[in-house]
Amino acid sequence: MHDNPKNGDFLLRILLAGTGGQGVITAARLLSEYFVRKGDQVLSAQLHGMAQRGGAVQSTVCVNSGISPALPRGGADVVLGCEPVEAARALPYVSADTIVFVNTAPIVPFVLSQNYVLESGPSEYPGLHALEKSLRAATLRVFPLDATKIAQDAGSLKTLNVVMLGCLFGSGVVPYPSQDFIDTIMVLAPPNLAETNTAAFKMGVEFAESLNVVEQVS
Amino acid sequence: MSHPVLKDAPGASVCMLGNHAIVRGALEAGLQFFSCYPGTPSSEVGDLLAQISKPAGVLFEYSINEKVAVEVAFAASLTGARSMCSMKHLGLNYAGDPISTMPYVGVEGGMVVVSAGDPSAITSPNEQDQRHFSRFLYYPVFDPATPADAYRMTRYAFEFSEKTRLPVIMRPTTRVCHTSGMVEYGPLSETRNEIRFTKNPPRYVPIPVNARRMRRELIDRFALAEELLGRSDFFPRHGSGTMGVIGSGVGYAYASEILNELGLFDRVSLLQIGAYPIPETILSEFLASVESVLVVEELTPYVEEIVSLNAFRHGRSIPVYGKNSGHFPVEFEYDPDMVEDAIRKFLQLEPRTVVEVALPELPPRPPVLCSGCPHRTSFYLARKVFGKNTVYVNDIGCYTLGYGEPLHSCDVLLCMGSSISQASGIARTTGKRTVAYIGDSTFFHSGLPPLANAVQANDDITVVILNNYITAMTGFQPSFSAWDSQYPDSSNNGQKDRGIVLLDAVKGLGVKEVFSVDPFDEAQTLDAFKKAKSGKGVNVVICNSPCAVHRVRVEPDGNRAPYIIDQDKCNACSLCVRVLGCPGIVVEDGVYFIDASMCDGCDLCAYVCNRDAIHQVEVREHA
Repeated sequence: MHDNPKNGDFLLRILLAGTGGQGVITAARLLSEYFVRKGDQVLSAQLHGMAQRGGAVQSTVCVNSGISPALPRGGADVVLGCEPVEAARALPYVSADTIVFVNTAPIVPFVLSQNYVLESGPSEYPGLHALEKSLRAATLRVFPLDATKIAQDAGSLKTLNVVMLGCLFGSGVVPYPSQDFIDTIMVLAPPNLAETNTAAFKMGVEFAESLNVVEQVS
Repeated sequence: MSHPVLKDAPGASVCMLGNHAIVRGALEAGLQFFSCYPGTPSSEVGDLLAQISKPAGVLFEYSINEKVAVEVAFAASLTGARSMCSMKHLGLNYAGDPISTMPYVGVEGGMVVVSAGDPSAITSPNEQDQRHFSRFLYYPVFDPATPADAYRMTRYAFEFSEKTRLPVIMRPTTRVCHTSGMVEYGPLSETRNEIRFTKNPPRYVPIPVNARRMRRELIDRFALAEELLGRSDFFPRHGSGTMGVIGSGVGYAYASEILNELGLFDRVSLLQIGAYPIPETILSEFLASVESVLVVEELTPYVEEIVSLNAFRHGRSIPVYGKNSGHFPVEFEYDPDMVEDAIRKFLQLEPRTVVEVALPELPPRPPVLCSGCPHRTSFYLARKVFGKNTVYVNDIGCYTLGYGEPLHSCDVLLCMGSSISQASGIARTTGKRTVAYIGDSTFFHSGLPPLANAVQANDDITVVILNNYITAMTGFQPSFSAWDSQYPDSSNNGQKDRGIVLLDAVKGLGVKEVFSVDPFDEAQTLDAFKKAKSGKGVNVVICNSPCAVHRVRVEPDGNRAPYIIDQDKCNACSLCVRVLGCPGIVVEDGVYFIDASMCDGCDLCAYVCNRDAIHQVEVREHA
């Protein structure tokens, strides 16, 4: 059980970041189940505590990696940032090799409005350019997209998490065909959302494929 | 379709949450009885059993508190049932009285007490090291590093408990409870212990004459536990080097992965401590084979001191590093980087290369009361009446979020149920009426005795019971104020309307002045608070309104139309944001508006607005 990954097995450490309600934990669960069905060893950590609606959420999915539930600094191969600030919050786990997909649609923390009124702290949401710049300082492989709009185009804001998963598959780092994952969605996601989820996933895949991420990486 | 945890598929490789792995281990061991009080990070153990207890044939209860949970489960064990109960670390303190004597009396059916630890106090008012219960009260304590450990240790623990007649503690921490990892299923148990209670008072009644006999027997049974653990596989050893690393809990997982990645297993021998008492022979054999030891464990230098003692007793004069040597901090969780740094220092390797990444200043997302939360309304209205000089004593639950800006409804806090007793103490010495806030679940958990106590002392306190009919903060477990249909099959035996009427309970304790109000009926609630303020002795205001999040989930027409700010009337006075702290009201470029996706449709902001600028969106009925 504590064995090293078998020879030839790929190793992939994914960090999903977002806010409570964006489906980060659900996405981690879908991914985990997918890789388990593929015969891989999966370790996935939920980092939720007091986080509730609107709180910061981080979840990891580590495939064939070992038994440590936490990532070391710079330990993420891929970051799926469902929200700009939350992607930046994942920076300690980003190295020069990390691929970062970041949704450019902000969810402005309520605390900023309160700070504005009470004059009790910063009240401005950080500039998107500044956030992207800080990510790019850590890795050149930063790929921004308006995943919120893509999800809406697919038919539901709730598929934002699946758009981000599409990016993961479209990037080429998963050594299995992306169609496989659609089968997982069909089995595990609510049936009434199956079609929308599939569309959202494909749009995410298409976006990432158009970037030739792996070519840029190698 | 039955739940995957019930699948009879030996050999199946399943990725499961640590807390669920504990349930699977217990089911494979033939679990018959389960009780719990929810508390992060333990809650998923009970929540899963609530769903599956009926098909699994397990008697289930969400207990009123941890003391009761432990007592019913222990008594079930005395009738032969394999029993388990779960709680967070602080819950075990609340059950401190029964757990102190349970090892004396001893179990019949195996008994496992799951007490989840919270290093770094992520969701708790403290962090504490449950492993001390081993030496303190003679408990074998299991210390899993992974969900797979949690599974196999739980499966083992029941029979072990029966052999030693000792109840055992399973102590996972947050990083085990809330991590999903691979578990290989074994077969589900086909047999169950026979249920029979045989009267034998000298065996079950720890009056002093029996207690002294039990005390002697306990020492022998604990020695047996150590012997059995010495033959278990919870102390695996890896590597062949003469530098020793000893790890427990998630610290072991970090150390194992780092030693593996750095390819150090030819220089290092790694020993996992998976349970306590640590078998003396396992430790002394390990220490005899190494020249130096680094101990990787969170919370207290518990293993570290046992290691030092063992080395001393066996004449091994070797250095023991860990918390005392400054390789690790005493407090808080470890992380992989911290463990790598300590290992590098221990082995005199080059320090880890750190690429400094400049972190921009990021706005926090602190937990706040949800939009539409009835607690906000109760806090706002009470403060309007009692003013800023009254001391507000708060309690454990979502309503702790009344702390700080802008509600200022939490001046004092300690533990479950303490709001009422602390209000008593403050009112008695200051001579000023003091307000206590407590939720329905916490009130039943530990608020009844202090309320009776306050009535007896005739303290000038106003107790505000925030009744939202649910145990919200831990994940919507049922509350005794509304033991309704959420888990009708398991926790409630299909019965409805078994809730205890708070009004009757409070009156039954001797409170003469009780008001039962709906906080969203602002006039009625203000009137009750005013009467309470001018009252004498103890009075109670019960604010009844369902949890906003739960209401939307369970009521078919729970979604209410959102409110909207009329920009023609709004003069940007900021009052709504300044006094309410509702996450649905947003300010952008000085303009106030309501985020319709966040708005729950309560009317509090409209009530607060002086300009009549906030109205509910009209919903047109379809013809």
